[in-house]
Amino acid sequence: MTLTLTLRSSPPARVLAAPLIPERLRGLNTSEIAAVEVRCGREMVAVGDLFDVAGTADGQLVLAGDLRRFDGIGARMSSGEIVVRGDVGGSAGTEMSGGALRIFGDAGARLGAAYPGARVGMTGGEIMVTGNAGEEAGAGMRRGLVVVAGQSSRGAGLRMLAGTLIALGGIGAEAGLGNKRGTLVSGLAVEPLPVYELATRFHPPALRLQLRRARELGLTVDDALVRGTWARWSGDRTELTRGEILIFDGENGGR
Amino acid sequence: MTTYTLGHAEIADTFAEAFPMRFARLVITAATEAWALEAARSMTGFATSVIGCKCEAAIEQPVFPAESPDGRPAIAVLLFAMDREGVGKRVLERVGQSVMTCPTTACFDGLPGAERTVSLGRSLRYFGDGFQASKVIAGQRFWRIPVMEGEFLVCESVGVGRGVGGGNLVVGAGDEDAALGAAVAAVDAMRGEGIALPFPGGIVRSGSKVGSLRSKSLAASTNHQMAPTLRVQVEDTLVPEGVGAMFEIVIDGVSEDAVREAMRRGLHAAAGAGATHVTAANFGGKLGEFHFRLSELRDPP
Repeated sequence: MTLTLTLRSSPPARVLAAPLIPERLRGLNTSEIAAVEVRCGREMVAVGDLFDVAGTADGQLVLAGDLRRFDGIGARMSSGEIVVRGDVGGSAGTEMSGGALRIFGDAGARLGAAYPGARVGMTGGEIMVTGNAGEEAGAGMRRGLVVVAGQSSRGAGLRMLAGTLIALGGIGAEAGLGNKRGTLVSGLAVEPLPVYELATRFHPPALRLQLRRARELGLTVDDALVRGTWARWSGDRTELTRGEILIFDGENGGR
Repeated sequence: MTTYTLGHAEIADTFAEAFPMRFARLVITAATEAWALEAARSMTGFATSVIGCKCEAAIEQPVFPAESPDGRPAIAVLLFAMDREGVGKRVLERVGQSVMTCPTTACFDGLPGAERTVSLGRSLRYFGDGFQASKVIAGQRFWRIPVMEGEFLVCESVGVGRGVGGGNLVVGAGDEDAALGAAVAAVDAMRGEGIALPFPGGIVRSGSKVGSLRSKSLAASTNHQMAPTLRVQVEDTLVPEGVGAMFEIVIDGVSEDAVREAMRRGLHAAAGAGATHVTAANFGGKLGEFHFRLSELRDPP
């Protein structure tokens, strides 16, 4: 059975929700979960003071409510699944290494990224967002898949090491700065940074699989994107020139 | 030899002798079914017999786009060898030469979750000369190998299963046309999931025996007992009077049951399509651990 935490009311300060991951809650009963403490501003508060707790922790955790004041949801998770029904704050999925984080709403800054000052962000797992993502999504990302149905804001893929960040609604400005081997994908036309250069237009077979995977995770992905042509921009040329930005180029020659 | 009849066909009460083999299933996708078929045909070419080709391979069945790994038209192929190492070597060679080279293709593991695997993309990636890249998608690693067309996508490894190789039927009739017609009908009935018929069109017209009557260096030579032209020349002929041509159908399958049921389908189809005599090849029961008795295939599929 799924463990469901339903927010009662907006907390008085920002909450660090990092302890609320399936592997840490697995095996706990309802009262034990309600007693787990999270940091709220300068205080430690019990989960039961913030949420109604229902169900048992068996690997799937559902968080429901307006969670924009909750940072670090799914941070450092390595297995299981978190489903969020509502918007979330910053650093969701930060340094995640496995499992799936599915956000039915918007995500704040540094989605799937590294904590500020750390070099390596997400190292595995999958993140799906039905809305938009804030600044520096995927910063320092090393492995894994992040798919955003809407737009990712400024600085996506900053100092990305590898992995894939897809923004079906387009990536924002300054995407991919310092990118080494990562893949950034923009479903809308954008002007890449000058450190990227157009290589070719083609049908990327791996992207096709990733977009189909996004559908399995719950996103609606237009068939034109799956079958269409993509422009490959290689960069960052001040790094290894082994990263890429794939920009949707239309259905011409769709397969 | 005792016999029973099925329609107008006389069925010999003998058995096909088969062997344990290891197999891989690959799913080849492409922009069109025609290109997927080109790759599959090339990959399964010259793979009729482990004796001469080091593996046996054939197209298993088409895979509809809705069921294929990347949503494109696909063909599933089966490749059999005597051991896992053999499967690994042959898969790597054949995907490298016949699938990667074929326009628009990608190559996927058709046995996901198998206990034992062999390397595919993990080895083939070196063709990318350092420019290759990998992606982990839904827990599976794939390699992106840059090629002149764009990229070839190939799975990291493929599963290896335990199968059965060497099931067979021998279909005879009064003349070549009648015998071939019956054999073709049998092949059409036998093809499907879990079955590989590795010979051209699924049919062998030059069935062999182990070794040779005259040479110690020959691993195999013509099955003289089933050659109609030698019927009065050899004492131990197995060609009944009135039979002018015989064709063998060799069957490799993913399980004993898959082979048995394919043989059942083939036997009844051949009997209904003009065969007058159906038998099977064996080695006296001393070599293969699987014996498929034709008398046990009497009930229709």
